[in-house]
Amino acid sequence: MNAMRRREFVRQLGVSSASLPFLAGLPSLGFGSPVRPRQRLVVVFTPNGTIPPAFWPDEEGTGFKLKEIMKPLESFKNRMLVLHGLCNKVRGDGDNHMRGMSCLLTGIELFPGNIQGGSHTPAGWASGISIDQEIKNYFQKQDATRTRFGSLEFGVGVTDRADPWTRMSYAGPNQPIAPISDPYQMYRKLYGQARDRESLRSVLDDVREDLKKARKHLAAEDRRLLEEHEALVKQMEREIKMQPATKPVAARPVFQEGIADQNDNVPRLSRMQIDLLVNSFANDMARVATLQYTKSVGQAKMNWLGVSEGHHTLSHEKDENDMAKEDLVKINTWFAGEIRYLLEKLSSTPEPDDSGSMLDHTLVVWTNELGKGNSHTLDNIPFVLVGGGFGFAMGRSLKLNKVPHNRLHLALAHAVGHKIQVFGKTSLCDDGPLALS
Amino acid sequence: MTGILKRRFRVGAGLFFLCFIVSRSMAGDVERGRNLYRKWCAECHGDRGQGVPGKHREPLHGSLSLEKLAQLIDKTMPEDAPEKCVGQDAKDVAQFIHESFYSRSARIRNERPRVELLRLSNRQFAHSVADLFVHFTGPGAVARGQEGLKATYYNARGPNRDKKVEERVDATVDFQYGTSSPDPARIGAEEFSVQWQGGLVAPETGLYEFEVRSPNGLRLWVNDEQDPLIDGWVASGNSSEHRASLRLLGGRTYPLRLSFFKFKDKTASIVLRWKPPRGIWETLPARCLTPAQPTPTFVLSTPFPADDASVGYERGSTISKAWDEAVTGSAIEAAHYSLKHLDRLTQSKEGDTNRVNKIRAFARSFSERALRRPLSPEQRVLLVDRFFEPGLSAEESLKRVVMLAIKSPRFLYPGLQAPSHDSFAAAEKLALALWDSVPDNSLSEAARANRLEDPAAVQAQASRMMRDPRARSKMRHFLWHWLHLDHVEEPAKDPATFPDFTPELSNDLRVSLDLFLDHVVWSDSSDFRRLLLSEDTFLNPRLAKFFNVELEAIPHFRPTRFEAGRRAGVLTHPYVLAAFAYAKTTSPIHRGVFLSRSVVGRPLRPPPEAVSFEEADFEPGLSMREKITRLTRPENCQGCHSIINPLGFSLEHFDAVGRYRESESGRPIDASGDYETEEGRGVRFQSARDVAVFAAESPQAQEAFIEALFHHLVQQPVRAFGDDLLPSLREGFASARFNVQELAIQIALRTSASPSTPLKTKAKSK
Repeated sequence: MNAMRRREFVRQLGVSSASLPFLAGLPSLGFGSPVRPRQRLVVVFTPNGTIPPAFWPDEEGTGFKLKEIMKPLESFKNRMLVLHGLCNKVRGDGDNHMRGMSCLLTGIELFPGNIQGGSHTPAGWASGISIDQEIKNYFQKQDATRTRFGSLEFGVGVTDRADPWTRMSYAGPNQPIAPISDPYQMYRKLYGQARDRESLRSVLDDVREDLKKARKHLAAEDRRLLEEHEALVKQMEREIKMQPATKPVAARPVFQEGIADQNDNVPRLSRMQIDLLVNSFANDMARVATLQYTKSVGQAKMNWLGVSEGHHTLSHEKDENDMAKEDLVKINTWFAGEIRYLLEKLSSTPEPDDSGSMLDHTLVVWTNELGKGNSHTLDNIPFVLVGGGFGFAMGRSLKLNKVPHNRLHLALAHAVGHKIQVFGKTSLCDDGPLALS
Repeated sequence: MTGILKRRFRVGAGLFFLCFIVSRSMAGDVERGRNLYRKWCAECHGDRGQGVPGKHREPLHGSLSLEKLAQLIDKTMPEDAPEKCVGQDAKDVAQFIHESFYSRSARIRNERPRVELLRLSNRQFAHSVADLFVHFTGPGAVARGQEGLKATYYNARGPNRDKKVEERVDATVDFQYGTSSPDPARIGAEEFSVQWQGGLVAPETGLYEFEVRSPNGLRLWVNDEQDPLIDGWVASGNSSEHRASLRLLGGRTYPLRLSFFKFKDKTASIVLRWKPPRGIWETLPARCLTPAQPTPTFVLSTPFPADDASVGYERGSTISKAWDEAVTGSAIEAAHYSLKHLDRLTQSKEGDTNRVNKIRAFARSFSERALRRPLSPEQRVLLVDRFFEPGLSAEESLKRVVMLAIKSPRFLYPGLQAPSHDSFAAAEKLALALWDSVPDNSLSEAARANRLEDPAAVQAQASRMMRDPRARSKMRHFLWHWLHLDHVEEPAKDPATFPDFTPELSNDLRVSLDLFLDHVVWSDSSDFRRLLLSEDTFLNPRLAKFFNVELEAIPHFRPTRFEAGRRAGVLTHPYVLAAFAYAKTTSPIHRGVFLSRSVVGRPLRPPPEAVSFEEADFEPGLSMREKITRLTRPENCQGCHSIINPLGFSLEHFDAVGRYRESESGRPIDASGDYETEEGRGVRFQSARDVAVFAAESPQAQEAFIEALFHHLVQQPVRAFGDDLLPSLREGFASARFNVQELAIQIALRTSASPSTPLKTKAKSK
């Protein structure tokens, strides 16, 4: 990938698209004042359960202390809502990893299918939409909240396979959405058109010159065709130049070339993806994002932490195995560190309309498919909310009593104004949205 | 009646014109005629019969004999006072008009068509861009051989070599295993898998829809070895139908792979279906599958505005903003394709020390192939080297090189840069004429070695190229155009009248016609006359049943001689007969226009006045022949209908779906007709075969076929290459026993050897 110089980037962004149908536009590059304060949602997924004693605060309420795994998030403690006691109560086909993953954001059963894990019955995809996509659709329905992409699905080190362990976002029943794991691919998705225009502009001049040269040798009857052609090229050049100079809020990130999508590159890939995520938010290309680290049963080998064993294998070790536990704490602490990087980026980027920082308008939800790796429990799944804009009372640690996680999804939907009564499996929505304000 | 039929009917039916009386003395005085023409006719028709906007726009060109022309003038002209120009006056005027500009020979004398500068047609553009990449990855087309797909069966849910049970060729993928397995003796029912792979032969260009039906896990790859077109690996709930679509270029073979497994599902089954352009949903047939393994082809998806076809064939004579944008969109698409497949195209991997050099070498070679000749040192800098400079990554540089090459006028306008005739120009013309594409390796090497100055070497190249699937594809494209079937909607019939004429049947008929055309043209004799005279029709069991023919129930098409003595090649092919007919009844006018234009080679002018055929206008009990005779009885219709009707009536033994009949509503069919040739000779037809025999032997019909093929291959007027070319091609055609392949080769040879003429002459430049 080409390293883009900053100045060049600004010049290119002057190049918009409306009059070039083959390079359909970037409608939301411009920024008007939003009608109501912006709200954004990021769901961050890390796999294989947590180590509960090193994760959950002992205290309830505002006066809580962060344990080892969450230490990296210390500076965001007063913007944090720790929800202990949320349970994925969806049952049916599929093993716990599978349901943990594919029911995490959907809150509904999997279809029967041909994918088998452990000794459970085989299963297929989730039978309903996921909450991130539900909220995205709600945003996309309205002019004030509609963006170019609506939502973006980022992955880090997700293996290139499609099964219920690797998908948490669903556009609908049987419609899993594959996260994009290659930051260069995501970059092309976000900025490819602008890049194409830049490449195009660099060759148009030559095309025009060549037409001029070529037509000199032609008979008059034939010259007409090339003259017409030359006029068309001139017109295209003019159209590209005349694009309104909309100023981007955030310049495109500059990446080193050739960071392959491989295990040992995960730390760099993670930062690249987070940079792109915040960048796409700043340029209002989407208001919903997911960031998926590896996958359920993910086997990242975190050599950069001195952990050479695969993550999932380690997560099966008994509680008594202190070495394994230590490694797992390291792994989960590393994830928390990546989330801190995300939060720092959001809090240090001013909201485009100057109403505070982007974090004031963004809720980051950190979650997992299991409560605990070696027991495969779907109870007490990690749900840590950080940020603002959703009207929740932050800076608290809550101890809930085995509440179905569907009720958190309802609370998220209601917080953006989408007052649905049921999300996912109906019987798990009794008592309505979880009260968090 | 469908809209399109209605439109075509109008074109055929409502011929205007002058009418006539019988005259005795034929000779007219040309000088007198010229003076009378100036006085009475030139105001509306122009001083040279070229037409006058706002009065009579159409030029006075036609194929009526001198006698008939005089009759028409006598009766109808001048329009406001037909009584003015009669008798000897009319004869004199006719003599002047006929000799000066009306007749075919006068037009040939007058018009000096030139070889025009043309851009690549849309078809040429798409095939050329595809072949620019094929060069680097091996041929995307494989010769026809065995049908079906290579199948490998495993007694395990994955393609585990130790569990391989069998390798064989499956004609189609259409299997219902139920609760069992493909081979219960060797393969367990709980888990198994099958891999099918090979090539998909795309019969025409357009959007192909694919569907895999299975309750189990599967992936389908078509023309892309990395990303599956359909990923149904996870069986889930009742989602057992997976669909996706893809654009393909006709006449090429694409890699196809279908991976299938069962694991613990209750039942197992798999069906691979498709809907090709103009086709219907059906199990992907064996004749479009091959176990051979082709490489992928780059197929553009950017839509293009239609090419100009105002001269009767498509050519790149005009440009527009939409076209320029389509070219630009294609250039971007091609650039992305080159980056996505960089490893394969450059034979290198990320991290190779030599990677940048390999990318650069690819870029040079790509530009050279696009320009169809070696780059001058100046061009090399301008088109390639200057992009490979610090500040730009090799990938971005390549992207720009590819975009520039495809937008370059030297790619888009063939012949633009030939300084004079040379081997490269010959190679360029050969490849365009026979393939609509760029020269391949063999041809480029011959050009580089300057071997194409030698006629024998060119001949050898052309013969080789003729055996390539691209030549077949272009020939098939031509034949449908020749038959005027290329823009005709699929024939649909009134379900009450023809309950068996289903879309499936209509589809079978189209395939049957394709097979017939291929059968004749690609046989050893490749005899043009057999296109008109052959008694073979390709039937499958469904068609055999429809035509009441005894046929072994093998699910294939095969040539069948039925109704011998009655059938005559394309004239009586049921698809043609059904296409040129109404929903309930025949249409002698459509059929007559078709026979006139395509078969006997008699041009007809579009009528300025439309008369439509309404069944209700006629009293019941009349035969179709009687209705048409009445409808076209007015003398001002007879100018053209005296040609159209006898031809069209010759097919009256075949009903609206192409079935033979002896009678219509209980009355015997009269298929006879009296036809007058352009030279005024009378011919009596009794049947379709009579017309076919007449056309097969008629120099005029042969020339019309040659001219049509010439236009399709070269996209320039044949007379721009001299008045002698057409007669000389016809002579060669006759002495080669009317071999169509040989004719195409001769056309390619004769035109590739002549200099490009868009360059201005020295005299003009002064």
